[in-house]
Amino acid sequence: MNEPVAEHSGPEVTPTALAPGVFADLYHQHSRAIYYLCLRFLGDPQKAEDATHDVFLKAYRKMDQFRGEASWRTWLYRIAINHCRNLQQAWQDRHLFSNADDAVWENAEAATDSPLRVLETKELGERIQRALDGLPGEYRLLLLLVADRELSYEQVGALTGQSPDAVRGKLHRARKAFAALFHKTG
Amino acid sequence: MKHQAKFVSEQKQQARAAEQQSLEPAAREFASAEELLRFDAAQTPVPGAVAERLERSTADLPPPAGRWWRRLFKR
Repeated sequence: MNEPVAEHSGPEVTPTALAPGVFADLYHQHSRAIYYLCLRFLGDPQKAEDATHDVFLKAYRKMDQFRGEASWRTWLYRIAINHCRNLQQAWQDRHLFSNADDAVWENAEAATDSPLRVLETKELGERIQRALDGLPGEYRLLLLLVADRELSYEQVGALTGQSPDAVRGKLHRARKAFAALFHKTG
Repeated sequence: MKHQAKFVSEQKQQARAAEQQSLEPAAREFASAEELLRFDAAQTPVPGAVAERLERSTADLPPPAGRWWRRLFKR
């Protein structure tokens, strides 16, 4: 593959987007999903931007190692999950982190069968982030991955190191916990 | 004349209804957390700066080796 990056005509050229090529196609097809995962996983737009850049840069460097055993999307997710976990770990090592809200969803009697009702979509992202932040990391990741229609339960299981049945079982609890926390943000 | 008055009245009613609708927040319902997250993801664009930074970051790197996976690219 020789064409992922076009040659610059001079130092004054300011790139505005990736030059056409296979890597650019990869980026355009999957960057939204990867950025969204990073954003909701890390909870910070600037960190998510940096992480998305780093994930695709790693992908660029490791493209020759892609063997086609997984889909490109799954491969990129794996890089992103590892990267975000490392960032979070580094952050938690520097700060004594405790999730004080754990008990909130554990004891909540959320009506998980009732729809999540949203009146104001302007601040929806912030509400979603607050709800996700209150979840254990495993549930947060599970919900974010299952929300991607391109991934099967088998693929989600492979990415999170568990069987598809375990994914289904935990997903039910993750939904319930999310619903309880989301209602509290309203 | 009567017809004209009715037409104006209907127009006023429609305008009032539209105004009322714009004042009332439109409630959205999501059947599940995943559906809500999908909606949120669709509203969340990737900042353009990411592609620009990537262009700069990869400019001096050798292109990835191997072309065999091209046929798999659409997976």
